[in-house]
Amino acid sequence: MTDYDAVIIGAGNGGLTAGLTLARAGVKTLMLERHNIPGGCATSFVRGRFEFEVALHQLSGMGTESFPGPLRSMLKDLDMMKDLAFVQMENLYRAVLPGQMDITLKADRAEAIQALKAKFPQETSGIDGFFDLVWAFCNQWIHVVIMKDPEATSEKHPVYFQYALKDTQSVLDEFFKNPLLKSAVGIYWSYMGMPPSRLPFGDFAVIFWAYTEFKPFHIKGGSQALSNALLNAYIQAGGDVHFNCGVKKIIVKDNRVTGIVTDQGDEIATANIVSNAGTYTTYVELIDREHIPEESRRELGARTVGTSAVTIFLGMDAEPEALGIREATNFITETTDNDLAFSTFRTLDPPMAMLFTCYDVDDPEFSPKGACQAAIVSLAYSEPWLSIPTTRYHETKYRYAQDMLNTLYKVFPDVRHHIEEIDVATPLTHMRYLGHPGGAIYGFEQSARDSELFLDGSSPIEGLYHAGAFAGMGGFQPTLMSGQSAARKLIRQLK
Amino acid sequence: MKKKVKQQISGFSEIEQEIRILRKQAPDRSVEKGQVSRIIERLHPRKLNLAVSEIREETASAKTFRLVSGDHYLPPFLAGQYINLFLDVNGIRTSRPYSISSSPGQTAYYDITLRRVKNGFFSNYLMDEVKTGDGFQSTSPAGYFHHNPLFHGKDLVFLAGGSGITPFMSMIREVTDKGMDRRIHLIYGSQQEDDIIFSQELSERASRHVNLSVTHVITAPSSSYAGHTGFITGEVIRSALGNQGLTEKMFYLCGPEAMYGFVLSNLEKLGVPKRRIRIEIFGPPADITAHPGWPEQITKADRFQIRLKNGRVFEAAAGEPLMNSLERNNITLETSCRSGVCSLCRTKLLSGKVFHPAGAQIRKSDRKYGYIHPCMAYPLEDLELLI
Ligand SMILES: Cc1cc2nc3c(=O)[nH]c(=O)nc-3n(C[C@H](O)[C@H](O)[C@H](O)COP(=O)(O)OP(=O)(O)OC[C@H]3O[C@@H](n4cnc5c(N)ncnc54)[C@H](O)[C@@H]3O)c2cc1C
Ligand SMILES: Cc1cc2nc3c(=O)[nH]c(=O)nc-3n(C[C@H](O)[C@H](O)[C@H](O)COP(=O)(O)OP(=O)(O)OC[C@H]3O[C@@H](n4cnc5c(N)ncnc54)[C@H](O)[C@@H]3O)c2cc1C
Repeated sequence: MTDYDAVIIGAGNGGLTAGLTLARAGVKTLMLERHNIPGGCATSFVRGRFEFEVALHQLSGMGTESFPGPLRSMLKDLDMMKDLAFVQMENLYRAVLPGQMDITLKADRAEAIQALKAKFPQETSGIDGFFDLVWAFCNQWIHVVIMKDPEATSEKHPVYFQYALKDTQSVLDEFFKNPLLKSAVGIYWSYMGMPPSRLPFGDFAVIFWAYTEFKPFHIKGGSQALSNALLNAYIQAGGDVHFNCGVKKIIVKDNRVTGIVTDQGDEIATANIVSNAGTYTTYVELIDREHIPEESRRELGARTVGTSAVTIFLGMDAEPEALGIREATNFITETTDNDLAFSTFRTLDPPMAMLFTCYDVDDPEFSPKGACQAAIVSLAYSEPWLSIPTTRYHETKYRYAQDMLNTLYKVFPDVRHHIEEIDVATPLTHMRYLGHPGGAIYGFEQSARDSELFLDGSSPIEGLYHAGAFAGMGGFQPTLMSGQSAARKLIRQLK
Repeated sequence: MKKKVKQQISGFSEIEQEIRILRKQAPDRSVEKGQVSRIIERLHPRKLNLAVSEIREETASAKTFRLVSGDHYLPPFLAGQYINLFLDVNGIRTSRPYSISSSPGQTAYYDITLRRVKNGFFSNYLMDEVKTGDGFQSTSPAGYFHHNPLFHGKDLVFLAGGSGITPFMSMIREVTDKGMDRRIHLIYGSQQEDDIIFSQELSERASRHVNLSVTHVITAPSSSYAGHTGFITGEVIRSALGNQGLTEKMFYLCGPEAMYGFVLSNLEKLGVPKRRIRIEIFGPPADITAHPGWPEQITKADRFQIRLKNGRVFEAAAGEPLMNSLERNNITLETSCRSGVCSLCRTKLLSGKVFHPAGAQIRKSDRKYGYIHPCMAYPLEDLELLI
């Protein structure tokens, strides 16, 4: 006798799409979330007259009506488009190295090339060559990885097989000479979480190409609007949900899931679980060690938890133009040495690379009239934050945030005169609200060896499925899609 | 992708080899069990078990309760933050938030200072029934009414009324004890001279520290009183601070409900931009039906039916926050601010209508999907809740 056909642990992106897919298929489902609101990272909070977006800077994979990307197709498939509105962003980004470089790339291949050539006229052939390579790579990637061409070979798809695991830095070096040009083109690294020297070119190329072809998007009302819409559809489809209700244990008998225990001590019987709590938490915190095969323990032990972030949420009493903010997405870097910039993420020194997003540039309704909001994000590992005594936490947090603001003010000097609200989230904040080790926001590291190419994501325990960043790749599109695919696997097993 | 396809990717086997080696030497992560929650608990324990170690009479109507930890150590806080105290009052499990009045310079104890509220359910119980040695639970410190060095600056004006002095007392104690580089001007409104909470300590600190000055305003003064009288007006503020640099200072406002609208309009007249004003949240208003937007045809005493998911039905008065009615029926929700702001009590309304006064902060999409904050939601119709 079970209470539910399936239990979902966690109402992050992966848990929400898994829940909706299951409930729509008539599977009796219970979703349990430790926080008081759905979304995980995909959430918002209110301070004064601002509702701050927590995570979303650029939504990938949407595409347009006429040229839909995979995420739009999935949301259509889930019949969610009627409840949501999306805002298309015009630019990939503006990249700034104060005093040395300032360039804006449109989300359009030809225009991006043109802008780069105008700034770097000596390197026109390298620029053409690089874009040709990225597009050729992604074409072949579609055949090999997405369409799963059974006859894929390194002869038929030479670019894919040669470049997929190459490091991004060496490809930038192959095509470009000027370090500023390499920075301008490669800057997405500081948002993806690995320096170009360790970022597989395959991952970089796909992101760069996908944002150009499918355009970056925002969600009207922020990512909470998406989380709330998904949860609402789930409830309407008959799903049950409890908030303020964490799961503290998964019960396993004879290598099969049989139920869960909540933080309050209630036991709920089920034969199937989709865990959005992450593989780390699931195997370390929720399942007793003796149920996990040696091989899986070693696999987990060999993996590296990825970055967290420091975010400064800014509410300002002026509209973006008045503050000199013209682009929604702005990367600011202090050096062309990306390894050096990356190394600052492991310290409490001023981070040398950051992303500044102003939500009202493309969506003037995002904040109240006459005001705007923005977020500055810098990736950060939790370790140095764990070493400070709790009594010095607040002081450290504000000093660190002040360093980030000082960098921001070099590019946007007027912002400092219009601040109405500021809040700061550190790796410890992400840890508190997500429950993930190190406050990781993208799951494991986005390095080659932690990528899906080397891991199949399936669970050694029957009835256990994984959804979310720790089960594949971080980011909205991948985690939303991972929930649907975990649910589909589960449904196939039920039949 | 099939293994034999993957293996053709250049560099694949080298990484496979690397993974093999790493797995051989892999640490056993199960020793890390419990680490994440231990780290979080250090800063933000979910609940604190507190005991009263001392009770001090401040004025005829105000007392300070010194609270020490029953088990855990007390987490650090920012001067201006509050804790929410849970108690069983006449068999009803309920809670109220109180600002910490002691300095964050030490966390051996938290002081809270409260003032009796006429007919107050909780405050009177605390004032009259709670004794040294009594224990209760609280949330850990929370709230945003604190100095933020990133944009508040060093020139601070505190506008306090009555028990609204408490967060400021913590800030004043911290700044003066630690010799911090901030200038504070406190303008403090009290009913009568002997209602001034912390009167002596304030004047002592002001005489010892050049960066602290205090101006009192007395609403109902005795005949011998020579200082400012009435309310905290633009005139009082101008005469206390002068005309210079008013727009650069940061103004903080904490006091009874009636003070807010009055002081805010005065600050506006003085040309202080909104971004230079910090307002402490306040609990449910004394009379919700007097609030702008309240539907005329509904009175305080009107009663509506509340239906829960398990089929239970009970009645709730329109003039009282839904959370209070739920508590009276033994339903305790998570809560910290009881002012419609922290969102811990966020609940889905399946049918019916509630009134949220302006202070309640509800996310846009929460409004769209019918989520309410019961601590600041008043029933206007029969309700069905997803509880
Ligand atoms: C600052 C920041 C910026 C970002 N920028 C972008 C961006 O621009 N574009 C992009 O695509 N992505 C971005 N991301 C990443 C993206 O938001 C995340 O990778 C994604 O949302 C993770 O989804 P998930 O499904 O893994 O679940 P998570 O969001 O990790 O949620 C997991 C949920 O499980 C719950 N949970 C955990 N343990 C338990 C338990 N034991 N019991 C019950 N519940 C539990 C948690 O409370 C949480 O709600 C950003 C993230 C952050 C924080
Ligand atoms: C963030 C925060 C910090 C606070 N800090 C302090 C503090 O340091 N010291 C302190 O004494 N109080 C403080 N309060 C107020 C406190 O939480 C209670 O509201 C107060 O003690 C009255 O509770 P009660 O149960 O006695 O009154 P209730 O039984 O809840 O209310 C009785 C009547 O009094 C009205 N009322 C409620 N609160 C007040 C008030 N403060 N003044 C006048 N009328 C009121 C109610 O609307 C009602 O009509 C704080 C409130 C908040 C939100």
